[in-house]
Amino acid sequence: MNLTFFLLLSLLLFSAGLIAVMSRRNLVTVLVGIELMLNAASVNFMAFNFFVAPDPVVGQIIVLLIIGLAAAEVAVFLAILMVLYRARHEVDAEDIRELRG
Amino acid sequence: MSPTLLVLLTIFAPFVAFGISLVFLMRRPVLAQGVALAGGAVSVLAALLLLAGGPAEPVRHLWFASGNFQLQFGFVFDGLSLAFGAVVAVIAFCIQVYSIGYMHHDPGRTRYFAMLGLFGWSMLGFVYSVDLLQAFIFWELVGLASFFLIGFWYEKPEAIAAAKKAFIMTRVGDVGLFIGVLMILNLTGISDIPALLDAETGLLAHVSGGTLALIMMLLFMGIAGKSAQFPLHTWLPDAMEGPTPVSALLHSATMVAAGVFLFARLHPLFLASEVVVVTVLAVALFTAILSSTIALVERDIKRVLAYSSIGQLGFMLAALAAGSLFAGVLHLILHAVFKALLFLCAGSYIHRFETNDMEEIGRLGARRMRWTTAGLLAGGGALAGIPPLAGFFSKEEVLAAISYAGYTAFWLVALLAAFLTAYYTFRMIFLVTLPARMEQGAKDAAGDSPWVMLVPMAVLTAGAVLGGLMMGPLGGLLGLEVPSHSLISMLPALGAVAVGVGLAWWDFGRARAPRRGFVEALGPLHTLFVNKWYVDDFYRATFGRAVHAVSRLLQKTEEKGLDGGFDNAAISTSRLGGLIARLQNGWVQSYIASVILIVALAGFYLGIR
Amino acid sequence: MDFPILSAILLCPLAAVLVIMLIPAGRDEWVRWVSAVFSAIALALSTVLWFAYDPGAAGLQFTEHIPWVPAVGIDYHMAVDGYGVALIMLNSLVLFTGVLTMWTLKVRVKEYFAFMMLLVVGVYGVFMTQDLFLLFFFYEIAVVPMYPLILIWGSTRKEYGAMKLMLFLLVGSALLFPALLAIYHQAGLGTFSLVELGAHTFERDFQVFVYPFVYLGFGVLAGMFPFHGWSPTGHVAAPTAVSMLHAGVLMKLGAFGVLVVGIRLLPEGALYWAPLFAVLAAVGIIYGGFVALRQNDFKFVIGFSSVSHMGIVLLGLNIGVIGFAGGDASTGQSAFDGAVFQMFAHGVMTALFFSTVGYIYETSHSKMIGDFGGLGSQMPKAVSIFIVAGLCGAGLPGLASFWGELLVFLAALATFPLLGAVVVAGLVLTALYVLRVFNQAFFGPPNPKWEGLPDLRGWALLPRALLVAVLVLFGFFPRAMLDLIGSTTSLLAEVF
Repeated sequence: MNLTFFLLLSLLLFSAGLIAVMSRRNLVTVLVGIELMLNAASVNFMAFNFFVAPDPVVGQIIVLLIIGLAAAEVAVFLAILMVLYRARHEVDAEDIRELRG
Repeated sequence: MSPTLLVLLTIFAPFVAFGISLVFLMRRPVLAQGVALAGGAVSVLAALLLLAGGPAEPVRHLWFASGNFQLQFGFVFDGLSLAFGAVVAVIAFCIQVYSIGYMHHDPGRTRYFAMLGLFGWSMLGFVYSVDLLQAFIFWELVGLASFFLIGFWYEKPEAIAAAKKAFIMTRVGDVGLFIGVLMILNLTGISDIPALLDAETGLLAHVSGGTLALIMMLLFMGIAGKSAQFPLHTWLPDAMEGPTPVSALLHSATMVAAGVFLFARLHPLFLASEVVVVTVLAVALFTAILSSTIALVERDIKRVLAYSSIGQLGFMLAALAAGSLFAGVLHLILHAVFKALLFLCAGSYIHRFETNDMEEIGRLGARRMRWTTAGLLAGGGALAGIPPLAGFFSKEEVLAAISYAGYTAFWLVALLAAFLTAYYTFRMIFLVTLPARMEQGAKDAAGDSPWVMLVPMAVLTAGAVLGGLMMGPLGGLLGLEVPSHSLISMLPALGAVAVGVGLAWWDFGRARAPRRGFVEALGPLHTLFVNKWYVDDFYRATFGRAVHAVSRLLQKTEEKGLDGGFDNAAISTSRLGGLIARLQNGWVQSYIASVILIVALAGFYLGIR
Repeated sequence: MDFPILSAILLCPLAAVLVIMLIPAGRDEWVRWVSAVFSAIALALSTVLWFAYDPGAAGLQFTEHIPWVPAVGIDYHMAVDGYGVALIMLNSLVLFTGVLTMWTLKVRVKEYFAFMMLLVVGVYGVFMTQDLFLLFFFYEIAVVPMYPLILIWGSTRKEYGAMKLMLFLLVGSALLFPALLAIYHQAGLGTFSLVELGAHTFERDFQVFVYPFVYLGFGVLAGMFPFHGWSPTGHVAAPTAVSMLHAGVLMKLGAFGVLVVGIRLLPEGALYWAPLFAVLAAVGIIYGGFVALRQNDFKFVIGFSSVSHMGIVLLGLNIGVIGFAGGDASTGQSAFDGAVFQMFAHGVMTALFFSTVGYIYETSHSKMIGDFGGLGSQMPKAVSIFIVAGLCGAGLPGLASFWGELLVFLAALATFPLLGAVVVAGLVLTALYVLRVFNQAFFGPPNPKWEGLPDLRGWALLPRALLVAVLVLFGFFPRAMLDLIGSTTSLLAEVF
């Protein structure tokens, strides 16, 4: 169990999230992808905090922050999603292009 | 009363009448007439009292100060101002009285009399001005008043076109005058006329040679505009579109007289430059010939008189340029009297017969209007220079002045002009009084204009007949010796006049006269004269077109170039925005892809560094 | 300092804005009266200020100085010199007459007067503040309300006009703001105070570099050639009183800015650029005249004549710089006196122009010259008033702008004789386009279409008559103005 292991784990998580975000058309899946990426970042922070700089617990604080932010973000995201679904009866990322320039 | 108070009364009485009429009396023309007459009467009385009081020291009051540049406005009471001021006030008053009869049917009388007040005020203010810039201000106001009066019947397109032409052409001259005055101010720092004339500290002490000539030429430009000298003379005949009493005022004591008066005011300065003297002589006498030749073939009685004014103004300027202040001012004053008379007579005919055509006026029985015809004879005789009428004396003085100054060639030209003047004047008189046949019933149409029109004419007739008597007093006022001439020296001029009158008699007067002028046999020259030497056409073809072309060009520049350019810049910016906006395709995942791509590239770049 | 008269003047329109916002909807009458009363108070206070200002003592008077943001040196510093007093007077006059002119407005009255008063707050602020930051702040306040005012209440391509005006003016501001910050930093005094910055001498290179930004930034608002395009379009599109304020006062804001920021703070830079800008101004004078000659819309004629007349102001400023810097005090004095005099005269004159055209438009719903003809017999009073304004525009003596033009021309002829002569010759052009309008619209055979149009009377006559009276007053008694501004100009000489 060393730093590299955790970094690889984080990379894996992040890549999975990225693939989900990039390739899935359903916005719920995209949301899941985003959550995965955030968690990858959290893992990274914790890993560095544990192995490299254990004394100031900055990493843990930031992870808490990320969790908080993620919760808020999910709430907002889901709210938008609900409204979108009500209005258009679909949550397809490729079809929702109202904000086209 | 002090001269200051009197001069204020003289100048401002018409102005007060003007203000009261315009503000309060627009709907009460009769009252406005009364106010105008009262103003005119006060002005005449005050001017005459001033004249009786004799010359006095000028008064000044600080009017304008910007740093070192200070203007002291005030009034000058030398012989020139006093004499001419009185003439202006009297003639203006005569014309006001006459206008009561002439304009009695016009609904816009209030405006008319108000504008006469404005005219009187500005001209009198000009005459008594002590400061060159003050004079310029009143000079411009004179132009404004004549604009309004020429265009008085503003519903007539010809009238407003004439008014505009008068304003613009005099303005062209005024630009020269203005630049000249400003140059004087810049070079000397003074604009006070007596101070400028001072030989020790005045203009001549500051500038000389080319600069002086330039300044005086610029001033002369203004004078040429106002006094209708070539090449700025063409507005005056058109100004006939105004009511006839206005023409009488315009051609005699105001407007056109302003130019000559300014020349007389600054007389020593003009004489200081030989170039200017010769130029003025040449321009003035050329103008005299030009205008006289056009008058030879003109049928409109007012236009004949207008061209004669241009010629006589040329005479005055020539006399002044030749060095004789006395001759110039004498002719200015006497001409004012008899020219006003002639216009009033013409107005009397026009008022009655409602035509300007001389032959028609004659045919309709002009001769039966005895008093008017008597006035026409007196005025015409004076204009032609028949002894012992007023014009004879002044014209003698003018010719003598040119001859004594040694300009023989100019003198010959002036003689020719005198001959032409006599000829066309008597052509007019014969056409009006000795028609080939009179209209049926014209004999019964006896009676003359109403007395309000006849009385002013009678006053002016007296002036035109007896004007010669004022040579002595005028000389005294101006502080100049009245030159005396032998009979021999008068002979050439008298001869020229006699030939002119005789020829007119031969062509138009005698029983079996051909009633065609000798010029009509001259072919191309006749065409030239009839077309007024093509000056107007030339202006239309050159300046008129040029102004239009430039303004059209600049308008295009504005639309397509400047304004359009900025518009295009704005539009292009907006288009560029549109292009960039296309990247914003609304597909969230492509945004994320580009973010990641950019981050990856940045990381790569940082990594290889 | 007893009574804070400057703040009181500034407060008048501000209070008017607040009160107007509180008035319930539908009470248009109240809105009008509130605006009229507050603008009358402002006018009265400005008159008091005019007479209370002591020209003999010159310099800044009625100072009010309260630190505001001390950390960066922004102070609420109000004080006026002679120029300020004259221009505040101008603003009050145009505001008061503008409010009366808009008495008959029907659409969204409340919002209109609120925006207009807000605009005026900005204008007053610029004329009285002695703080560079506040100056810019008020400047923007004066500019921004123009957009809704034109967009909502305007006519003739109003969207285009409003957008164009806004773009030009904001580009001007964009040039200006960095320049102002650069001045602040370069001085290194940690203050925006114009007085302290004025005492600081900037390096010559810096001045030469920054001055054109300031000149162009403010110059755009002053309608300088070739960046004048917004002004005629904006005038045409704007409602009457906004055109009045706009041409009458806002354009002066630009010239005033050039004077207090550009010339006072950066005299050497001003001198370096003066010949170029003087030539541009002269080109503007002639160009504006020629273009005005071809316009068919009353307001376009006036708009381009404004470009021409503001050219005279800008020419005066540049010539004045050359005069003072060259040690020729009397030329400098004439030029600056003339420029400020012309600002005032032109302000009153264009206000009168637009006010009268506004009336003609309101009654006939046309402002195309070709639609009229012989209007003089149908509405003699309105036409007479327009003629007075036109004659003033033509530089006729006896009306105010003659003196301004005289002084500027005098200085121009002394500095650049040829340029001066050309500019004076431009007077013919002015007369041409003014008389063209007279002859085509007012004289000639009357057009039966306009039979029975009501003439100006009663309350509608009051604002126009007031402006005419001011023009005539200063036309005959120029000292009333010159005594006020002359001493300020002499102080300006010390900058060089």
